[in-house]
Amino acid sequence: MTIFRFALKRVFGNTTNLIFLTIFPIACIFLPKGEGWPFLPYGYQYFGILILFIGIRLATIILEDRGKGVVKRLAVAPVSHFQYLSQNLLAYSVILILQCAIVVYGGILFGQELYQPSRLFLLFVSFCFASLAIALAWISFYRRKDTSFLLYMSLIFLIVVLGGLIIPIEIFPDLLKRIAVIFPTYWLAEGLNWIVFGENILDFLLINSVLWLYTIVCIIIGSTRKIY
Amino acid sequence: MKQKEPMLFINGWRFLTIGFLIHLWIIGESTNGSFILILLLLIVTSLRWRFALPIWFVLVDVFICFLFTPHTNISYYALALPIFELALKGKWLLSLLIFISLFFAQAASSLLFWFYLQTFFFGVFSFISLKNQVVYRQEADEQRKARYELERMKIDLLEANQSASHQAKLMERNRIASELHDHLGHDLTGASLALQAYEYIQDSREAEKLLQEVKNRLKRSTKNLRDTVHNMTPTTWMGIESLENIAHYFQQLDINLQKSGDMQAVSAHQWGLLEACLKEALTNVARHSNATIVEVDLQVTESIVRLLIQDNGSVEKNSHTGSGLRSLQIRSRSMGGSLSINRKNGFLLVCVIPLEKGG
Amino acid sequence: MRVLSTVKFTVLRMARNYIVLLLLLVIPIILITIFSFILSESVTETGVPYHYQNALTMVLVFQLFAGAIVMYLIDHDLFKENRMRIYTLPFNQRMYAFSIMICGAGYSILLGVLLMIYTQFVLGIIWANWAWMIYIISLMAILSIIVCLIFTFSVKKYKIAERLSELYGVGFVVLAGLFFPMPENIFFDFFGTYGNPLTLSIMSINEMGQSNTGKAWFQANILLVAIVLLFIVMLNLGRRRKL
Repeated sequence: MTIFRFALKRVFGNTTNLIFLTIFPIACIFLPKGEGWPFLPYGYQYFGILILFIGIRLATIILEDRGKGVVKRLAVAPVSHFQYLSQNLLAYSVILILQCAIVVYGGILFGQELYQPSRLFLLFVSFCFASLAIALAWISFYRRKDTSFLLYMSLIFLIVVLGGLIIPIEIFPDLLKRIAVIFPTYWLAEGLNWIVFGENILDFLLINSVLWLYTIVCIIIGSTRKIY
Repeated sequence: MKQKEPMLFINGWRFLTIGFLIHLWIIGESTNGSFILILLLLIVTSLRWRFALPIWFVLVDVFICFLFTPHTNISYYALALPIFELALKGKWLLSLLIFISLFFAQAASSLLFWFYLQTFFFGVFSFISLKNQVVYRQEADEQRKARYELERMKIDLLEANQSASHQAKLMERNRIASELHDHLGHDLTGASLALQAYEYIQDSREAEKLLQEVKNRLKRSTKNLRDTVHNMTPTTWMGIESLENIAHYFQQLDINLQKSGDMQAVSAHQWGLLEACLKEALTNVARHSNATIVEVDLQVTESIVRLLIQDNGSVEKNSHTGSGLRSLQIRSRSMGGSLSINRKNGFLLVCVIPLEKGG
Repeated sequence: MRVLSTVKFTVLRMARNYIVLLLLLVIPIILITIFSFILSESVTETGVPYHYQNALTMVLVFQLFAGAIVMYLIDHDLFKENRMRIYTLPFNQRMYAFSIMICGAGYSILLGVLLMIYTQFVLGIIWANWAWMIYIISLMAILSIIVCLIFTFSVKKYKIAERLSELYGVGFVVLAGLFFPMPENIFFDFFGTYGNPLTLSIMSINEMGQSNTGKAWFQANILLVAIVLLFIVMLNLGRRRKL
């Protein structure tokens, strides 16, 4: 687990990263509650966007490794690509899960009304993995960190809007309502709605399993080893 | 690596089909739950993209589709994926077996039939093109191997040629030595012995006879020497004479031949190459060039012989080296030398061959 | 006036920066299109279709990020890779910096106008007063360029300056209350109205649309004053940075 330990150290060693990783989730706790929509406080509705951003920020570390030739050196070291990738991803997911815990349980302490906090936490964790996997698949197409980050940022804007995280899906035209299902953000939005109104646990399981399926697809696509 | 190209289109078809299924889902009335079908198929497809999965993995596709048949019509369209995979692996009968599902599909089964059929065709096409590629590659490999062998053989032959000429030279030397020994040796030795005896003989008549004998022997050996030399002088032109001869009898244009150094240091097979170079260059000039003057310069130093042929013609820039010059290049390389060609100002050919030390 | 001969290349460098083109032209086009699809049915209290307001906001929001390219060029030419080359050239470096600024402003105004043309002719949004709109867009572009340059001059690490400029863009969008309503107190009220270039320009254009010329000019002039003040700050910081 050496790689895991150093991946964690590397993320926390960078001050900008540390600020980015702690300030924003904490800020999310204090955002106000909306009138009518969204049903959860704004911070929780928008936390998904933040997870997407953090996902790409963490995943670009792998891209950096590729650019600096770390992957090439690892290829001749007695470390398999699987070990490298899995331990890095594990470290990143630990960080993301910690943030989810801060947001959800900090919200309880602050006194936000979260309906079913533990399930909300589960939903966020599922979405964290999906976000990390999508970011991993995304960076596998790029060589340059900045380009991939900027383009992914634009992509985030699009899928967040089309998935119904910023605008309630009810006011979409019918076609867009159907198209929205393609995006993982739609399932997060559905899950958030379920947290408030949901009764049937099967629906919640369906939402989580879809997020996990996205995770698997993107990990399969993104786990290719690229050596330049 | 060459196999990438058809694979690109095969993977493209796989992902396009997933796109088609998503489109069907969007325009259809299916529930959100049936979207899982598409995601599961996407997983299988991306696995196929990453890894070469065994043929039985098709069962997974069929099973997934079968699970969702009660819920959504899309699963019938999704059966195109296993049809394609089976056809791709050459299991055409098995893939036709999936066509049976047409009898169970409620809606649009005629459309579905055409969709299956074209999927099947593309699968078969991909199978054939993949197979052809393997054949072509094998063929190309064999061709390449044959070409390498030919080149190898050419070099071997040239080396054998060189050593044969070396052997011939040694044998010729041997023959000359024995000829000289046989025909001149006895008489000259006899004459020398007779002269030594002559000093000790007092009797003048006896001495007179002996002197006559010496005279006869010397006369005979002089004749023998002349005969031997005459017999051994080749009737063909050799060495520098051959080059001069070629230049002399080439009547189309003026050839200015200059030579320097010790011509004897150049061995016979090297003369052969130099001769071939000159002939090839002059033929090329006569055939392709508008040159009027050709300068030929042959320099022999202690370690190399250099032949330089320069004309004043104009050649098209992009004319490439012909097979004659190429084979000369190989020959000169096999002797450890080089042959270079420059077309900047007229045609310039420089052939450099190292001389063998000690003959 | 040797600087003039460099203008051509500055423009070429800007036009060839595909990422900026993508972020400031293609993405807004896509977003405006999607929003206009989503919001096509809803109408505000005044009877104007809701996506008119949205398109206006979008065009102005992306002007907040107009400074990025100028920032990049200035940093690249005057502080980083090209520094020594530029300083050996026989022209006034200050003038060169100004020429980059002016080119950048022109470039982002052009992008803004392209967006307006697209929205008018493809999405059918009617811009009431083109001249006023372009004037406000220019003010926004110049303001954000000046702000970005202030960041570049005052922060040592370029990366941090870049982050700050992003924060400037996103921050004022958030403060304008476009993502979620801001809490009610003096600080947020101020930055939600007169302290926020985005809301100022939106208000100004809306006032102009309702023919309240005086109010519109007043709001635009606040922007102008901010530009003048920040320009002086930028000049001082920039001069010190050069030494």
